[in-house]
Amino acid sequence: MIALAWRNLWRNKTRTLLTAGGIAFAVFLVTFSMALQGGSYEDMIKAATRFYTGHAQINQRDFVTDSKLEQTIGNAAALRAQLEKKFSLVALPRVQAFGIVSREERSIGGMLLGIDFAAEVAQLDLYDDITAGAIPTAPDQALVGAAMARNLGAELGDDIVILGSGKRGGVAAMALTVTGILSTGQAELDRNLLFAPVSSVQDAFGLEDEVHNLVLVLENYTQVKALAAPINDLLQPDQSYRTWQQLLPEVEQGIELDRVSSAIFYYILLILVSFAVLNTFVMVIFERTREFGMLMALGLRPWRIIGQVQIESLFLSFIGVLLGSVLSAALVAYLAEVGIPLSAMGGEAAQQSMAKMQAGSVESIYPAFSAASLTTAPVVLILGAQLSALISMLRVRRLNPVDALRAE
Amino acid sequence: MSENQNQTPVVRCRDVSRTYQKDAIPVHALRSVDLDVHAGEFVSLAGPSGSGKSTLLNIIGGLDEFDGGSVQVDGVELDGLSPAALSALRLEKIGFVFQAYNLLPVLTAQENVEFILQLQGIDKQQRRERAAQALDNLGLGELGERRPGELSGGQQQRVAIARAIVTRPVLLVADEPTANLDSATTEELLVLMARLNSEQGMTIVTATHDPMVMSHAERQVHLSDGRIDRDG
Ligand SMILES: Nc1ncnc2c1ncn2[C@@H]1O[C@H](COP(=O)(O)OP(=O)(O)OP(=O)(O)O)[C@@H](O)[C@H]1O
Ligand SMILES: [Mg+2]
Repeated sequence: MIALAWRNLWRNKTRTLLTAGGIAFAVFLVTFSMALQGGSYEDMIKAATRFYTGHAQINQRDFVTDSKLEQTIGNAAALRAQLEKKFSLVALPRVQAFGIVSREERSIGGMLLGIDFAAEVAQLDLYDDITAGAIPTAPDQALVGAAMARNLGAELGDDIVILGSGKRGGVAAMALTVTGILSTGQAELDRNLLFAPVSSVQDAFGLEDEVHNLVLVLENYTQVKALAAPINDLLQPDQSYRTWQQLLPEVEQGIELDRVSSAIFYYILLILVSFAVLNTFVMVIFERTREFGMLMALGLRPWRIIGQVQIESLFLSFIGVLLGSVLSAALVAYLAEVGIPLSAMGGEAAQQSMAKMQAGSVESIYPAFSAASLTTAPVVLILGAQLSALISMLRVRRLNPVDALRAE
Repeated sequence: MSENQNQTPVVRCRDVSRTYQKDAIPVHALRSVDLDVHAGEFVSLAGPSGSGKSTLLNIIGGLDEFDGGSVQVDGVELDGLSPAALSALRLEKIGFVFQAYNLLPVLTAQENVEFILQLQGIDKQQRRERAAQALDNLGLGELGERRPGELSGGQQQRVAIARAIVTRPVLLVADEPTANLDSATTEELLVLMARLNSEQGMTIVTATHDPMVMSHAERQVHLSDGRIDRDG
């Protein structure tokens, strides 16, 4: 029966090859595009989170909306140590305070971030954008946004003063030396931010072992949701754990939109190819009506004839799926090594949409298969071919051998 | 023939009629046909085109329905049998040879003959032996590995006969088996069928226009307008 199905498949070589070729093409196109998308999403998420935001953050719950100085996480050092010990992640402490930044006669408002420079530089990309000087190494040194430095007329080595209100209501004052200029290209950041060592900022603003933010960089970003429950167990009720999906909703929404719109395209393609397969089977069955009549006259039951053609359809779709999968696997394997430079993919438009998806720079895309990208097209097409064969064969159930033998 | 008269006939038709509806006009293909075919007979149905020969053969072979009367094959009443039971009966008891499109084009002659044994659930070893023997019997011993496309029309019909008899049916039904053959090949095929009938006692019912076929059959049944008007 199986050998018979295989041989029947090759009765019309051209048609079989064309149909299998159509299936192969669709499988290739869809699995490859999905791998490409999957790879680019991964790269986008990594780039976006690695820039500044991290994969997740822990805050005092109200700080998320109010950003008040006193809305802190206490016992920060212990919590940080505990998190790093229990999970494969790095926790970056950040303190955040508003103040007036002055140099000589000029004063502007700005946001002072107290950070652990060594740890941040190791994890995040923001500090790659230091265009002059270096990261601070002493307690009284500062890294200043390029636009802020320009507005202050400050250069490397100049002293600046920050005045704000401390936690206990008093005046908080810091005198810092500019040792680095940061130029991210994002006006908002470059105009408003300056960075100093976390402990200096804590001292100046009357904070104890307190931070506003613990930025978590996970070894594997896909774990963010899985870690939500165990991390929340460690937190106080007034502390919140937020994942990159909440921190950078535009990244997730952009990906989701892209995923849905391309899924629609894929399914249309797959359905079109299934119709081509249906057409093939309608023709096959039309041509073989007399043969089916003969088989039924001999004593074959209709369902066995239907089963026979289902096997033929299975072979046909397997050939196409195998061919298409091998081709796209080869291409994906190659490109996963080499990467596709973004400039090759519509250049600026791609760069812009990346920029829109928040910060970070993605230079190349590395396609990557996932279970979904590998199986969607094959499964849909194999089912489509089975359904096509079945639909076209259903009339065999009502076929009368005498009429079938007489058919022209 | 006389020694068969008291046995159950292989085919027993009583008052069989068949009416087709063609554009809402009834066509009486068979009208009250009575026919007995006994084991070992070689019966040829003759008559003008449209007289009902194929209709009668199809009914006897369990391929077509009838709307009145009774048809028994090997003692089994066909009236009221389910499609599945009819299929099983055809597979076990009846060998068919059609005018054309008898064989599966993708199978060799040997495989075509084995195919029907496989449907009967006979094991591979036996299938091979019996098919080879049937082909040998019909002078096709050398051609077993050929596909139908590589055989002449006469050879194809012989393979079809081999397939029809390899299951050792009680009845061989052949509707115009020689219609597509030239006269020399027709003669060859008829000699073969006559030999099957005389040497192996195969019961054969065939339909034809061809006087040559009729001359080989021991009994001729003549149909006209759906009725038997001459027998013997
Ligand atoms: N499926 C059908 N639908 C309608 N009428 C039919 C059908 N099959 C046969 N008939 C009619 O029944 C009558 C008998 O047909 P049948 O095929 O039995 O004749 P036949 O003797 O075999 O003819 P031929 O020698 O041409 O093969 C004819 O009038 C034919 O038109
Ligand atoms: Mg006829």
